[in-house]
Amino acid sequence: MPVIDHRGVLQGLRVRDAMRRQVIQLPRQALLEQVIRHTIKYKVNALLLVDEAQRAVGVVSKTDLMGAYYAGLPLTTPARNIMVGPPLFCRADDSLEAALDVMQAQRVHRLYVAEEVPEQAAGVLAYPDIMGLLYRFCHKCERARHRPGASGPGRSLLDSLKVREVMTSGILTYAQTDTLLAVMEGLAAQRLGAVLIRGEDRRPVGVVSKTDLILAYKHGVPVAAPARTVMTSPVQASDHQELLLNALKQMIFADIHRLFVYKDQPENLVGVLALSDVARFRSGTCRACVTSRIRIR
Amino acid sequence: MRQAVAQTTREIMDTRFQTLTPEMSISEAVRIFEQAGKETGQPVFGMMVTDAQNRLVGMLSLYDILLLLRPKHIHIWGEMDDLDISGFLEEACRRAKPLRVGDIMTTEVITVTPETHLLMIIDIMIKKHIRRLPVLEDGKILGIVYFSKVFNCLIAGLRD
Repeated sequence: MPVIDHRGVLQGLRVRDAMRRQVIQLPRQALLEQVIRHTIKYKVNALLLVDEAQRAVGVVSKTDLMGAYYAGLPLTTPARNIMVGPPLFCRADDSLEAALDVMQAQRVHRLYVAEEVPEQAAGVLAYPDIMGLLYRFCHKCERARHRPGASGPGRSLLDSLKVREVMTSGILTYAQTDTLLAVMEGLAAQRLGAVLIRGEDRRPVGVVSKTDLILAYKHGVPVAAPARTVMTSPVQASDHQELLLNALKQMIFADIHRLFVYKDQPENLVGVLALSDVARFRSGTCRACVTSRIRIR
Repeated sequence: MRQAVAQTTREIMDTRFQTLTPEMSISEAVRIFEQAGKETGQPVFGMMVTDAQNRLVGMLSLYDILLLLRPKHIHIWGEMDDLDISGFLEEACRRAKPLRVGDIMTTEVITVTPETHLLMIIDIMIKKHIRRLPVLEDGKILGIVYFSKVFNCLIAGLRD
């Protein structure tokens, strides 16, 4: 295991320490239907298209698939028509800090990792992978145990931080009668992963995420259909005074990336708590590793 | 007298089989898995998926369903030994039930014909990590070959 430097947890770590070996990829001839199926099956936000020599030629993300749905492309359309390429690569021996800098500068959520063969993905590096690594180190860090609110081995910031301290204020909402087309326009304009759906009495009744939308695409739901047709219910929400640890547990149980946050009563939604927000606070708030704090924009 | 080892697919394939459709829910598919297991007297871990014209369009295995139940970021949760995750699997099952067979089935299916030699089947099963192979003739499904049947067949030849 790499040596932990108190000035920065990431210092000394290489991409290979955090990357995932399982890369979900399809041949470049793959059709949109296949890409959606693999995205749902492997629970990934994007997958790689490769040529006959297994060289990466492009990336298709849930956002791209939502765009295809919006544009009315048939599911038999070749995925290469909507892919973004060439994919960005780093090397397994690159420092983790350098890889994070590239991700931030290029505004991408993942980098593919090359080893012996250039352009062949031996792994993938995404924010959640780095967060898992930091969590491991944070728990073993002696300094972490002396932080305010923490006492005894294993205690951490999650045990004392509240949801309101980490959440992002403001949410995008739609009526359940609004069309999927309108929802997709909102998601694309605000660069969000999900929107809240309200009922006639303005109470929150569901959530429409990009995953819901690409499933609707696959099932042949028309884009003019109302949001209630595909929304997921009930809304996963947390009180703003709730402990971050409990909110994180709720996200694990629901297998989701974000929770809506309410104040005083469940109908009064005031913000969103994203997994990346939790991990960001979890990994860099302590003075022991403040220089390694992940900056997510 | 030594028992002869089967040579072709025709000799070892099961011609009684059940199929799923892409529109079925995962919940329904699992019920049919269980039903087929009771009928055959051994657990069924995978089935062929057919369209309205009875053409093979995919396979659904327990592995495909397990992928659905696995947490999205298991590599993070694996680090969080301070979190109580009791009840997670029950919740994951609840979420998986309404998804359709067609959402997660494998469509890149390797098939054999009734005349395919047993050695070829063994080779495919080893190389591709496949435990069941649909048997087709002119596009029509005739049966399915299970790994267990192949193994049982070879055991007969390996006995003293």
